[in-house]
Order: sequence, then C-alpha cells, then structure tokens
Amino acid sequence: MSVLAALRRELGEDRVGSSPGLDGRVFPRSGEELATALRLLAAGEASAIVRGSGSWDALGHPMPRARILLETTGLLGEVEVDAEDGVAHLPAGALVFSLSEHVRKETGGAWELPFDPVSPSSTLGGCLATASPGFCFGHPRDVVLGLEIVLATGERVRCGGRVVKNVTGYDLAKLYLGSLGTLGVIEAAWIRLLPAPEKTGCWWVPAADPSLAVEPARLPSARAAAWLSAGLARELSKPGPGMLLELAGDAAAVAADAEHLVCQNGATASDPTGLGVVRGMRGGDPGGRVRVSARPSQLAESVAGLSRAGAEILAHPARGLFWAFSADEAVFAAAERAGEGFLVEAAPLAIRESRELFGENPELRPLQAAIKAQYDPAGILNPGRFAGRI
Amino acid sequence: MGPRSNSSSLEACLRDVVGADQVLTRLEELFVYEADGLTHHSARPRAVVLPSTTEEVVRVVKACRKHEVPFVPRGAGTGLSGGALALADGVIIECARMNRILRVEPGDRFAVVQPGVVNADLSKAVLQHGLFYAPDPSSQQACTLGGNVAENSGGPHTLKYGTTTNHVLALELVLPDGNVVRLGSPTGWPAGYDLVGAVVGSEGTLGIVTEVTVRLAPIPERTETLLGIFPDVVSACRAVGAIIRSGLVPAAMEIVDRRTIEAVEASVYAAGLPTDAGAVLIMELDGPDVAVGVQAERTQALALAEGANEVQVARDEEERQRFWRARKGAFGAMGRLAPDLYVNDAVVPRRKLPEILEAVCAIGDRHGLRLSNVFHAGDGNLHPNISFDRRDADELARVQKAGAEILRLCVEAGGVISGEHGIGTEKRDYMGLVFSDDDLDAMKKLRAAFDPTLTCNPGKLFPTTRFCFEANPKARGYDQVPLE
Ligand SMILES: Cc1cc2nc3c(=O)[nH]c(=O)nc-3n(C[C@H](O)[C@H](O)[C@H](O)COP(=O)(O)OP(=O)(O)OC[C@H]3O[C@@H](n4cnc5c(N)ncnc54)[C@H](O)[C@@H]3O)c2cc1C
Ligand SMILES: Cc1cc2nc3c(=O)[nH]c(=O)nc-3n(C[C@H](O)[C@H](O)[C@H](O)COP(=O)(O)OP(=O)(O)OC[C@H]3O[C@@H](n4cnc5c(N)ncnc54)[C@H](O)[C@@H]3O)c2cc1C
Repeated sequence: MSVLAALRRELGEDRVGSSPGLDGRVFPRSGEELATALRLLAAGEASAIVRGSGSWDALGHPMPRARILLETTGLLGEVEVDAEDGVAHLPAGALVFSLSEHVRKETGGAWELPFDPVSPSSTLGGCLATASPGFCFGHPRDVVLGLEIVLATGERVRCGGRVVKNVTGYDLAKLYLGSLGTLGVIEAAWIRLLPAPEKTGCWWVPAADPSLAVEPARLPSARAAAWLSAGLARELSKPGPGMLLELAGDAAAVAADAEHLVCQNGATASDPTGLGVVRGMRGGDPGGRVRVSARPSQLAESVAGLSRAGAEILAHPARGLFWAFSADEAVFAAAERAGEGFLVEAAPLAIRESRELFGENPELRPLQAAIKAQYDPAGILNPGRFAGRI
Repeated sequence: MGPRSNSSSLEACLRDVVGADQVLTRLEELFVYEADGLTHHSARPRAVVLPSTTEEVVRVVKACRKHEVPFVPRGAGTGLSGGALALADGVIIECARMNRILRVEPGDRFAVVQPGVVNADLSKAVLQHGLFYAPDPSSQQACTLGGNVAENSGGPHTLKYGTTTNHVLALELVLPDGNVVRLGSPTGWPAGYDLVGAVVGSEGTLGIVTEVTVRLAPIPERTETLLGIFPDVVSACRAVGAIIRSGLVPAAMEIVDRRTIEAVEASVYAAGLPTDAGAVLIMELDGPDVAVGVQAERTQALALAEGANEVQVARDEEERQRFWRARKGAFGAMGRLAPDLYVNDAVVPRRKLPEILEAVCAIGDRHGLRLSNVFHAGDGNLHPNISFDRRDADELARVQKAGAEILRLCVEAGGVISGEHGIGTEKRDYMGLVFSDDDLDAMKKLRAAFDPTLTCNPGKLFPTTRFCFEANPKARGYDQVPLE
C-alpha cells in the first residue's frame, strides 16, 4: 500500500490531500495524528517537507527528494497562560499574532509573548524551528522552557518543562530550536513571557556607519535597534544612514535614555510606524538576503565591504548581526568572509542549488550528520535542506 | 572495560603523555577524588590526570580509549550530584590547571577562558572594564567555568540574568574520540545545530570542555538590596509571587527560613537577623539609576502588603554584604549542626512555593531529620538542606527517603528534579519521575552522536543498573575515617 493510502486509512480522508509538484499533503490535527503520520512516512521511507504557514519556504537548500508536504497548522492543542508565573504553554500550529493577542488579554496586559515575526501568518512552530532573531526580541533559545516534539520515528517526546529554571537532563530544546524541522516536528512549547513595558518610544539616530550605533543600541532600555544603509533609510523618508531605535521599559528609564540619545547622539523622535516598515524589510522579496554575524567591533569594516559590493544593509548593532540585501553571488561570497558566520536567507534558485547556504564550521559536519542520523535515521524530514545538505 | 592487568601500561602511557608529576595513582592521592560535594556517593578513580593544555587532554583521552578505560572530566569537585565521580574504574581528567584567562574583549563584551578558571576570578579580572560574568553560583569562590558549563550552573542572580547557558557563546571541546571541535562563535549566532546549547548542561558526558567563550555584562549603574523580615516562610513566598506578578524582575529573590536563620546567627556568619523571624527575603534590584529607585519602592510596598513585619533597605555596601552573608553563609553555618549536609535541589512553579514548602518541612519532620530551607525563591528553585551524619546508616537511609519524597512532591506540582545541581549519580534513578522512556531515549540519541561507545563519564544522568556505586559508607570504610 502506498504511504498516502496508509495515511488516508489511518487519519481519514480529510487529513490527506494533493500538493502541486509533490505526491501529496498531510494535515494532522493533533499530536497523536502527527505521530501516526510520521510513523507511516518513516515506514514507507517517504520524505516530507515540514511546513507551518510557508512564509519561509525559500529558506535552505532545495529538497528534490521530498515527496509529501507535512503541514503543521492543524496542531492547535491546549493553550495555557499562567499569569502568576509568567509562562505559557502554546501549540506550534497557532499563529504568533493571535497567540500574542491571547497572552496580552489573558494577563491583563501585564505580560507579552517575546516573538515579533515579520509575517502575520507565521506559526509559533515555524518561529521556533527557524529561531530567527526578531527585531524587538533576541534569540528564542532564551525564552523556550520546554518543547513537545514528535520525532521522525513517530515517538512523542518532551524536553525541559514549565518551570523557569531547569537542568533536569540534556537541554534538547536548544538542539531542536533552529534545526529547521530536520530533527523532529514541534507540537507545542512552554514559553517564558516577558513583562510588558510601561512605556515605549521611537527614535531616529543619524549614524554614518553602524559602529557609531553600537553605543546607543546598548542603552538599557533599547529594545529594538536597526541601523539602515542610505538606500533602506530612504524607505523611512530619512535623509541618510542611521538607526531606528525603540526604547521600552520603566517610564523613568525610557525618559533618561531618550534624553541621552538626544544630547549625545543627536536623535530625533520618530514615528513608531517605522518599526513595521523595518520589520517588513526582512520579509519582502529582495531577490536575495544574507545574514552575517559580526562582532560589534567588526561591524564598520564588514558592512563597508558589503556596501561596496552593492548590497543595502540592515544591522542590529548591539546583537552583532547584519543583513546584506543582494541577489549577487559575489555578495554572498563576500559575506562568507565578512564576519564570524553567515546564513543565506534568500537567494535565486540557482544559488540555492549550487552553494552552501549555512556558514557553519565544516569541521562540525561529521557531528551534525551523526546527530541527524540519530534523530532521523531514514532522512525523511526536510531532506537536504539544512547545513551541509543533511 | 579493560582488565585490571592493563593498568600498569595505561598508567605508564599517561605519564608519558603529561609527565609523571601530573598523574596521581597512589591510594592516598586518589582518596581526595573519591567524591565531589555529594559526599555520600563515592567511587575510587583508577588514576587522576592533571593536563595543562588541550593537546594533553587529547592525548590523555586517546590513551584511555586505547586501553578501553572510561574517563571523567572534573573541575573543582564542588558538584552536588556526584557528576565528577569516576565510575567503572575510570580515569579522572582534572582541568583545574587549565586556569588561564586567554583573552578579554571589552568592546565586544566577551572573554575566552580555560575551563579551570574559577568563576569568581573571571568577574574580578574584568572588573576594570566595568564588566562582570553574570552566573554566580554560591560556590563561585571555588567552582570552575568548566564545571559551570557542564552543570549549566545557576546562582542567586539567575532570576534576571539566566543560567550559564545564556552566557556561553562558544566552546572548544575534546570529543570522546579525541578529536577537537569548536562550537559556536563569539557573536553567538552560528548557523547549524546549536551544539553549544546542547553541550551546556550535559554534565561532562559529551566531551571535555577545554576552552569557554563567555558573554560579559556591564556592571549595573545602581544596585538596591532589601531585606524583608516575615513572620513565616509562607508569607515570604507570597511576596515573591506578588512582586513577579506586578511585572518586576528583580536581579535576585532569595529566602532564608527560620531554621537556617538560627543556624547562621549561632555561627561566625551571624548577620544580625532576628532569630524570631519566620523567614527573611533578600530582594536585589539592579539597572539604570533612575529605574532602580522606583522599583525598590514598589518592591518594598509589595513585601509589606504581603505581610512583612519590616523591610530594611541596605544603606551602604557593608550593609548589603551583611544581608547577603545570611544567604551565602548558610551552607557554612550548617557545618555546625552535623558532619554532613545533603542539599536537595528541585524546582516548582513559583506560585506553588507556599504549599510545597510546608509539605517539604513536614516530610523532614516525619523522618526526624534536621531540615532547613534556603533557596532561589524567584525561580521556584528549592534547596531543602538536611544536616546528617553519614556514619549513621539509619539516618542516611532516612535522608535518602526524604529526598526522594521531596522530588516526587515537586514533580507532582509541575516541577522538575533539578534546577542547578544536575542529575549525576544522585538523581539518575529519579529521571523517570519527569521523563518517559521515549523522552530519555531522545536524550540518549544526543549522547550516542557524541559518544557512541559511552566512554566519557559513563553512569551519569541516565537511569541505569549497569554501573553501581557504593552508597553504604560503612562498606567503603568511612566509619573509620576521621571527620576533620
Ligand atoms: C524574511 C524573514 C524575516 C524574519 N524575521 C523574523 C523576526 O524578526 N522575528 C521572528 O521571530 N521571526 C522572524 N522570521 C521567522 C519567521 O517569522 C518564521 O520563521 C516563519 O515565518 C515561521 O512561520 P511559518 O509558519 O510560515 O514557517 P514555515 O515557513 O512554514 O517554515 C519555516 C521552517 O520551519 C520549519 N517548521 C515549521 N513548523 C515547524 C514545526 N511545527 N516543527 C518543526 N519545524 C517546523 C519548516 O520545516 C521550515 O524549515 C523571519 C522570517 C522571514 C522569512
Ligand atoms: C557550597 C556550595 C554551593 C553551591 N551553590 C551552587 C549554586 O548556587 N548554583 C549552582 O548551580 N551550583 C551550586 N553548587 C554546585 C557546584 O558548585 C556547581 O555544580 C559547579 O558548577 C561545579 O563546578 P566544579 O568546577 O566544582 O565541577 P565538578 O564538581 O568538578 O564537576 C561537575 C561536573 O562537571 C563536569 N566537568 C567539570 N569540568 C569539565 C570540563 N572541563 N568539561 C566537561 N565537563 C566538565 C564533571 O564531569 C561533572 O559532571 C554549589 C556547591 C557547593 C558545594
């Protein structure tokens, strides 16, 4: 019997459909159904593309071996918001936007969900699987307390838990975060919430090069800071390169930092809608975009090099990250040398097919491959998509 | 594992590799290494090696592999879960001599250190740059960064700053097969699997950490330390809940209960605490000058509203140190009560603290044990401390029974069995309280990817009956050992 027929029989007709270019599509609606689906896929050695809402389909190497689309948006299990402890249990298939809204409501505005994805259709699972840094919030690894995962072999497993401090066993959540769904499919997560700020404010800080933006971006209440090269700054109707900066926190701290910005950095108050524009810059279709991690002290030189190569730049100066927008292979090659690590986030198909997109250390390949082989022995989850095409 | 007759050749090989004075094999030398801070678990290592470089670690690992002998990384041996014990006749690789701070990059806020650097020494070394290393285990004057990485150590200030895993950017690791890999990067954004995240907290089972790149944080502009004096521990716990619910994130919130106050006040650590108080709550706030003053006032008001008899605000550094002395001297003060101290370590959701504490004390009383509490209340991380004498087999059995009951209670409340000390040998057989067999198998897959032959620190963390250690002190002759 074909895998699709087995899926139909075990899960029901309405959980299985067609998908252009692939053999079919499966749409589990619970952890049990997901486990069943994965068991059947593994048994039939049928490879799957794991997808949330598909807002980042273009991430990673192409997957010619994949035969079935495994959609996670039906994973909408139990939601629990514990306002007293500032933690929440959230299902992977739910949209981050609606989860954020829910958390705000359930906690009377006291807490917020620390994710700010670019796309209104992003699922929580997708954000965790990509572990992409947000504009306001940093790496998801700092806020994920526990995960429920279905492994490629169909076992439903947990790691971590609901408490804010925990060293009980290996910290497998770290391994799964950012693994692009190549080790298992996330079903749900325990997330640590953050206290909602008392006050926020938005500022424009003119800065010719991004290293000048490091100091203001490190102010205690600076929550989101994006330095924009001249071409991107124009989209905010700003005359030249500079930084859009959001202050958030205690009213007194925000006021003190704002004063510092105005006096020391020549900042001017800015329209908060600019934040949305900047967030969107990472989501549009730029033709190509590469993320480079560089130390704050390397920023100026790295950014200058890529600008000369013709890329527009968006940088998070204090986080040691910047993005170069270009579809040019020469820029990707330069990015590879520019910092301490890179990730080609979007590129023309020819480039995605031909070059390594993840700038991970080649000496780690055997270890990364051993991990993949342990968790997904049949190689059925996103085959070939990840670093080193594992 | 290798037959004993191989021993002379292994030891000769080790001496070749690192020099004779860096290999300990005499019984009286090995005795020191039979246990870590968890004194009632012990195992005698076959040998102890003290390498000074990564290269030497590699050669030691290869020698052990050649002789099919397991090896165990060790730092200062302050661990409290039996993690650094050499089971199965293994060799201890002690990293304490690899204690150099290799590089400090103040502008980029990171430092590269060898694993034997003592936690507190790092903060001292970077003070001149206005920076500090945030994770501060109470053992920080002795414990090493390598041990901290292996245990994902916490401390009083993890409430705001997080545990070790939030501060480690990169690692150099000697894999169990002797290969050296570099994980992570000083910028903290590598692509590929997050292997730094997977190795931190893996209790020395995935390899030997030979270099650590840590994030440094700016010293806060202002710190305010408050001491709340409460009629009972339950109201102190409630105050913790109220403060967090209000959206404040203090740097630390630590509770010391009445039984501990009594012990501290009768010791050299006396901090002038009222011995008739039910509990004291140390609350520390730090951050920008303008914010901290307001936050301290709000904190004080909330503590009073929850029933504090009094809230003192430290007027100067000396007074601040006095408040902390009560917390930090607690372990030392316990030494007066009995020869041994068993420090339990479990976590519950914060709001369950009041009821759990009552139940924990009841368990101690029921077993006729001297149990007291000093703990990281803001994190829900309990440390019920039981003073006992390991030479009394009956008392030791009651300690272990009470410990198990406490763990079960915490798990039933939605918690876990370790917040910072790890599983080691102590709690490996309780992992089943928290995780299913499938959950544990998922962890073993990680282990298998790094160490397929299970040669690096075997017998830890996972439930097992394969390696048995001796928990009966009489059987090891401890009853004849003077306690000094
Ligand atoms: C241009 C751009 C900028 C971004 N900026 C931010 C940002 O600022 N902040 C932020 O938080 N995020 C950011 N992201 C991340 C983004 O929001 C999410 O990664 C993505 O949109 C997730 O939503 P999705 O459901 O569409 O995932 P998809 O696009 O469907 O999937 C993305 C990846 O996650 C895997 N995946 C999806 N669901 C699961 C699951 N349940 N279990 C395991 N693997 C799964 C997929 O296999 C795939 O590898 C950005 C993404 C893009 C494209
Ligand atoms: C009085 C007291 C107070 C304490 N307070 C705290 C506290 O507040 N918070 C807290 O978290 N802990 C605390 N601890 C526990 C202990 O100090 C920590 O677990 C510490 O991190 C252990 O460091 P160590 O150098 O002593 O490691 P060891 O005890 O020598 O080893 C601990 C583990 O780390 C492994 N290891 C050591 N070095 C390496 C290496 N280079 N590579 C790989 N693995 C290695 C060992 O194999 C072992 O599994 C306390 C202990 C005491 C005695």
